[in-house]
Amino acid sequence: MLNKILTILLITLLSNVNIAKSKVVNLPILSGVGGEFTAVDSNGNTIEFNSYAGNVVVLAFGYTSCADICPFTLGYLKQLYNKLSSEEQQKVRMLFVTVDPEYDTPEHLKAFLGHFNEDFIGISGSKEQTDYIVSLYQAEYNQLSALGIPTENIRRVQPKLFEDESEAEEDTATLFSHSVSIYLVDKDGFTRSVEYTGTPKDEFSAKIKQLINE
Amino acid sequence: MKNLSSSLLFFVAMLFSVCSHADIETKEFRIILAPAVAKSTAGYGVIKNVGAEADTLIDISSDAAMVMLHKTEINSGMAKMIHMPNITIEAGSELVLEPMSYHLMLSNLSEDIFKHGKYIRIIFKFEKAGIIKIDIPVKAAWD
Repeated sequence: MLNKILTILLITLLSNVNIAKSKVVNLPILSGVGGEFTAVDSNGNTIEFNSYAGNVVVLAFGYTSCADICPFTLGYLKQLYNKLSSEEQQKVRMLFVTVDPEYDTPEHLKAFLGHFNEDFIGISGSKEQTDYIVSLYQAEYNQLSALGIPTENIRRVQPKLFEDESEAEEDTATLFSHSVSIYLVDKDGFTRSVEYTGTPKDEFSAKIKQLINE
Repeated sequence: MKNLSSSLLFFVAMLFSVCSHADIETKEFRIILAPAVAKSTAGYGVIKNVGAEADTLIDISSDAAMVMLHKTEINSGMAKMIHMPNITIEAGSELVLEPMSYHLMLSNLSEDIFKHGKYIRIIFKFEKAGIIKIDIPVKAAWD
């Protein structure tokens, strides 16, 4: 009798696993979100977005002087990326588009993103290129000049760091507000889902895997 | 001797990590290990007012960085950082500093100090409780 019950339980469990594995989420093309753009990657190469065609793209906006949400988002993306097998990772491109290209040079982005994962790609460019990418994704960003940290205040706290006055005058930490959405783009360049850091990582990685296998 | 020194160091670190000063207690504070090229990072933890009266945090400072209390607000998918020059914590309430909410914004970091396992002294000044100094560990956060 006990064996019978255990057998039924085992069959039920296995059936549920199979159902979970085969669960396909509806990911319609989000018309008007995303598209073709030209920019510079973190290796300093000019890229067209369609050069990532054939790969699933995960794209987020941010900037490196952001202390809270951007590192948190990149930490989330790191954990998300780690949920993929190395074979799946080869079919995915993780893009971090800076809204502060003046400060976030390709070299700086590469060093910053490498802290999270060497595979992550920083995207920068001119302000016009940045504005265009932001508009393509119906995103937004604004410079919060009022919250910029003036050098004189920094010097008051730590004068020893600024031996060169000219360097001190140029150094300011600019803050931005920006969209926090994370865009999931399929192998043909169509945006298929808009996520955020609250999306359970298993749910998000399942969507990525689904698009890899389309 | 080495073990004794390690134990003493650990004891002192524990004293600072859970700090109680009159009616203000702090716990679980940590500063996020930022990329080496970053010029800012965040600190998180809990400040609790265990007293019978409200108290106001009026200043935060450090010799290792410029520190401010910021709050990340997300409205219509847009994240915005707001500088909080001061904040009142009601009696029996706590201020939770966590990602995408209130946090310590540390900028102009001293390069040699912000390493994994190091402690950063942060000085909180309250209207009633006065000055509270805590040594906060730098930790890799998102693993």
